[in-house]
Amino acid sequence: MSLLKDLFFYQGNKWWKIPKTDELSENPKNEHPFGGFIEKSKNIWLILSSGKGHAGPIYYWVIATILGIITMIEVWWFTVPELLYMLVPAMLIFSILKFGLVVAFFMHLRFDHKMFSTIFVTCMVVGILFFTVFLLLSAFHGLGQ
Amino acid sequence: MSTDVTIQHGEEINNSTGVSAKKLLMWVFLGSDVMFFGTFIATFMAYRNKSLVGPYPEDTLNIPITSVSTFVLLMSSLGIVLALHYLKEARMGLAKFWLLMVIIMGIGFIGFQVYEFAHFANMGMTPQVNLFGSTFFTLTSLHGAHVSLGILWLIFLLINEYRGNLNSENAIDLEIAGLYWHFVDIVWIVIFALLYLITANDGVPPGGIPWIGGH
Repeated sequence: MSLLKDLFFYQGNKWWKIPKTDELSENPKNEHPFGGFIEKSKNIWLILSSGKGHAGPIYYWVIATILGIITMIEVWWFTVPELLYMLVPAMLIFSILKFGLVVAFFMHLRFDHKMFSTIFVTCMVVGILFFTVFLLLSAFHGLGQ
Repeated sequence: MSTDVTIQHGEEINNSTGVSAKKLLMWVFLGSDVMFFGTFIATFMAYRNKSLVGPYPEDTLNIPITSVSTFVLLMSSLGIVLALHYLKEARMGLAKFWLLMVIIMGIGFIGFQVYEFAHFANMGMTPQVNLFGSTFFTLTSLHGAHVSLGILWLIFLLINEYRGNLNSENAIDLEIAGLYWHFVDIVWIVIFALLYLITANDGVPPGGIPWIGGH
């Protein structure tokens, strides 16, 4: 509840408030119908964290929910015949999204030492190069025919 | 021998690299494993649609069941970050609970895979029957072996946790195992999209997907 309060409540008790301002004067900070939401949402990861600047349980649940929703969209996409012509690019985009979320947030690469990111990304680039070269070779030289 | 190691937040930090040696070793291993799986996935994709005899992917793959097992594995990733979080906070009850849940979900995933393999074998799809069978079983078995190894590792850590040998002071041991577990998860994310969702669509007739009807 405190999370919702932090995110949506304007100055304590109201979900939103229409500001009463003098037309000639400039609006005070956060004096708009959405209260402090926009300002606070800039710090959403801190609000979702345990309050120490590190990720907390709510933060992990949010990431897991996003991963679950993306998986549901993937399966739904697969079942719609009209969308099948876009299946390959869609699945690649969804996979990259899920891959990125797990690596960045669950594996803490976003918060950890840059050396780890460098090692992992370098190996991934080499892996993708293998992949591309192998597929090109198979396409132009009839591998498996 | 000089000690060039300092302890920070329960992590052994190597003074020459500035990072935990254990974590560095795990990331190097994961980097090599990315290339390893990359070659197997590339092989699968190169041989895609090249089988001369059936059974073909659209006849065998069961997307609803694999979607459930994928979801189970994704949620196990959530479980392990929660277990690590609570271990670092020395909330041992929750840490043990989530670690146990991860092990159960991992075993559940392997259970789905065993069921799937048995189902395929009943349909006549075996590793030696065609190119699809060979590449599919090689890649998914390799992934299954990684998951199985991860389960054994987590069971070992859970026993250590119960014995009091794993606590907030040496949470790095669970973090390393967690990195491995997440890696197994991201490899499955790619396998699920390429081997299942894309491949199951190969050769689908205008009537629709076989298990939805119209085949």
